[in-house]
Amino acid sequence: MKKIGFLINPIAGMGGAVGLKGTDGKLSEATVRGAVPQAENRAKITLQALKNKQNLIFLSPSGRMGEDALKETVRERIQVVSHPVNDSTAQDTKIAAQRFIEEGVDLILFCGGDGTARDIFDVVGRNVPILGIPAGVKMYSGVFAIDPATAAELVSGDENVVLRDSEVMDVDEDAYRAGELKTHLYGIARVPSLEGKTQFSKQIFEEADEDRAKEEIGRFIEEVMLPDTLYILGAGTTTEFIARSVGVRKTLLGVDVIKNRKIVAQDADEKTLLYLIEKEKDVRIIVSPIGAQGFILGRGNQQISSQVVSHVGIKKIIVVATPHKLRETPVLYVDSGDPVLDREFGDSVQVISGYRIAQRKKIHQP
Amino acid sequence: MQTKILLDEEQIPKKWYNVQADLKSPLDPPLHPKTQKPIGPADLSAIFPMELIRQEVTTDRHIDIPEDVRDVLRLWRPSPLYRAHRLEKFLKTPAKIYYKWEGVSPAGSHKPNTAVPQAYYNMKAGVERIATETGAGQWGSALAFATMLYDLECTIYMVRSSYTQKPYRKSMMRVWGAECIPSPSTKTNAGRAMLEKDPDTPGSLGMAISEAVEDAASHSNTNYALGSVLNHVCLHQTVIGLECREQLAMVDEYPDVVIGCVGGGSNFAGISFPFAGDKLTGKHKDVDIIGVEPASCPTLTKGLFTYDLADEAGYTPLLKMFTLGHDFVPPAMHAGGLRYHGDSPIVSRLVNDGVMRAVAYHQSEVFDAAQTFARTEGIIVAPETSHAVKSAIDEALACKKTGETKTILFNCSGHGNFDMSAYDAYYAKELVDYEYPDELIKESLARIPKIS
Repeated sequence: MKKIGFLINPIAGMGGAVGLKGTDGKLSEATVRGAVPQAENRAKITLQALKNKQNLIFLSPSGRMGEDALKETVRERIQVVSHPVNDSTAQDTKIAAQRFIEEGVDLILFCGGDGTARDIFDVVGRNVPILGIPAGVKMYSGVFAIDPATAAELVSGDENVVLRDSEVMDVDEDAYRAGELKTHLYGIARVPSLEGKTQFSKQIFEEADEDRAKEEIGRFIEEVMLPDTLYILGAGTTTEFIARSVGVRKTLLGVDVIKNRKIVAQDADEKTLLYLIEKEKDVRIIVSPIGAQGFILGRGNQQISSQVVSHVGIKKIIVVATPHKLRETPVLYVDSGDPVLDREFGDSVQVISGYRIAQRKKIHQP
Repeated sequence: MQTKILLDEEQIPKKWYNVQADLKSPLDPPLHPKTQKPIGPADLSAIFPMELIRQEVTTDRHIDIPEDVRDVLRLWRPSPLYRAHRLEKFLKTPAKIYYKWEGVSPAGSHKPNTAVPQAYYNMKAGVERIATETGAGQWGSALAFATMLYDLECTIYMVRSSYTQKPYRKSMMRVWGAECIPSPSTKTNAGRAMLEKDPDTPGSLGMAISEAVEDAASHSNTNYALGSVLNHVCLHQTVIGLECREQLAMVDEYPDVVIGCVGGGSNFAGISFPFAGDKLTGKHKDVDIIGVEPASCPTLTKGLFTYDLADEAGYTPLLKMFTLGHDFVPPAMHAGGLRYHGDSPIVSRLVNDGVMRAVAYHQSEVFDAAQTFARTEGIIVAPETSHAVKSAIDEALACKKTGETKTILFNCSGHGNFDMSAYDAYYAKELVDYEYPDELIKESLARIPKIS
């Protein structure tokens, strides 16, 4: 038997349809503007596809946060574990997540957006894999299935499902409403992913193991690292592997700086970076695309600002990513905050994806 | 409007052409991997018959093709030379495009041109069994066919990623009576060591060569055969270019551009060496000779011209060649036959001397070209061959811009009938455009091959 913690953020997505760019704290305004709850309908598509899976037990909060949808679709093997007070607040989500941990669920399946992902991750961290049925206004995190049907495949999936690291992104809603996208890498969750969806198994060997790919990338970067050169390492697990192969410990979510195999700065902000590169002759920036959309700059790495990049030089940026990540993100994005600089990246970029192996990837240019 | 230019069976060349005779100075000798001193025939006699060792080092301009071998070659030679009228029309180019179609051999590629003489000389020397390696399976199936003709046993170490990817190449080897083993395997010390280091390795040509060499060296009745790279292999392939020169002369042509794809270099050598000889001896100084390689394994365009091992484990001599380092495992792209870290020493030397040049392409653009070719000329080429097609199309399009009426010749080295999964991946938009990060490698010391 597999225990699935299931929850719906019933109001997720409501703000989007009526132009509120997010629903957190804006529910009454969204309702006044005529927004209709959509999340439950999205979740039901997934549940419908799972209703005959006898080996699944669903644990969920009562009412609209999960129980209702389960009763209409799966009908049996349902266990209510919490009772929401308002059935839409972050607090209700967190309480449910806490109960899921206590009950020892194998996976948390949720229907919502970036906010819901962040609230669950806050409680469960990397202890329990999570998977999102996409329903929110903003979904910059990499924890969502492409669509509700694929989510069902991932839940019921057999030996083809493996766990991968995916970013949970934190989006500043107020800034977002003001037309500015401020995202931070909030954490790295564990997410089920379908192995070798493709029939053409050439790539399987190198994509079979995400950690193996990261090790290969680390081994290569370690080999080509130059002495007396400052390396700015962006956030994420791939850059963390690089630090590891050089023999230093890197913060997972921060931007760190190393030189001659020693840490110069940890979790550096833009000011620190500008100060450090001021007196250096040779600086390199190593970044990995972050978030579901695959941003090289501008998501989760904002410390590496347009000013930092201009100072170092675009040609000195080394982009790294695993073959799996690259397959999921056919096009990469740059949003340094300076459109002129973004354009300088051109139409494509070389991405290191293995030991002495790179891929040529398209960059989206508006 | 003549489309096929055909020769009679009697016009199968009677001699191979040895371009070593026309080099201005001798090739740098192969070195012993341990002593790093030049090797002698005795060092090679454990795994090669003496006649092939002689062909490896001789500077005689012409070497007789045994009548017994010519009799076998009659099964598919002389191969046709085509004028690509439909492709020219589609491209609206003033250039004339000719292609030599080597896919007519039983194995479907140029590889039997050397598999047959190699099996023959081994049989003559009393050898009972041959061990070899194969990448995409073209060479393995060709040698399986050739050893069958001479009643030799044959064991083939096939690069693991291709072994899984191309099940029908394996089946062909079985039909012709050979044994095919995925490499790295547990049959050899080299294979076991590689598996211990990395149980999930996709394998590489370099690893498979180590296994086959070890197998041959440790069995007294067994010799080794290589499908590319070595001088005698390139020599045997010159029947391609020699026939082309005759065929073009029949329509009063001589090529301005000669093109072939390059993995280890043998099909490129085959079509180009006779023309390179004309260039070296001043008969046709201006012929432009282009080797085409994948951007993911760009040995000639991004490698270093230096001594390196021909295999992964270090059993083979050190060859002076363009190399990306024998420890480099190229990404598993679809043109498996081009996944080799080094190159033929003669091709390397000619590129280094400026007699030939090289270009590199990404995977998806060569499949675009292959599709164009299939939809104009009809032939569905192997992924390896599609590199040559791409270059020929680019040369023809360049002529369209300049208005030049160049004569372009390329080697259409094999069919892609067993590579349809690669075409499927192309249509599913799943082809990855791998490339070699040469700038990062160049600025560090990492590109110098470490020979241990």
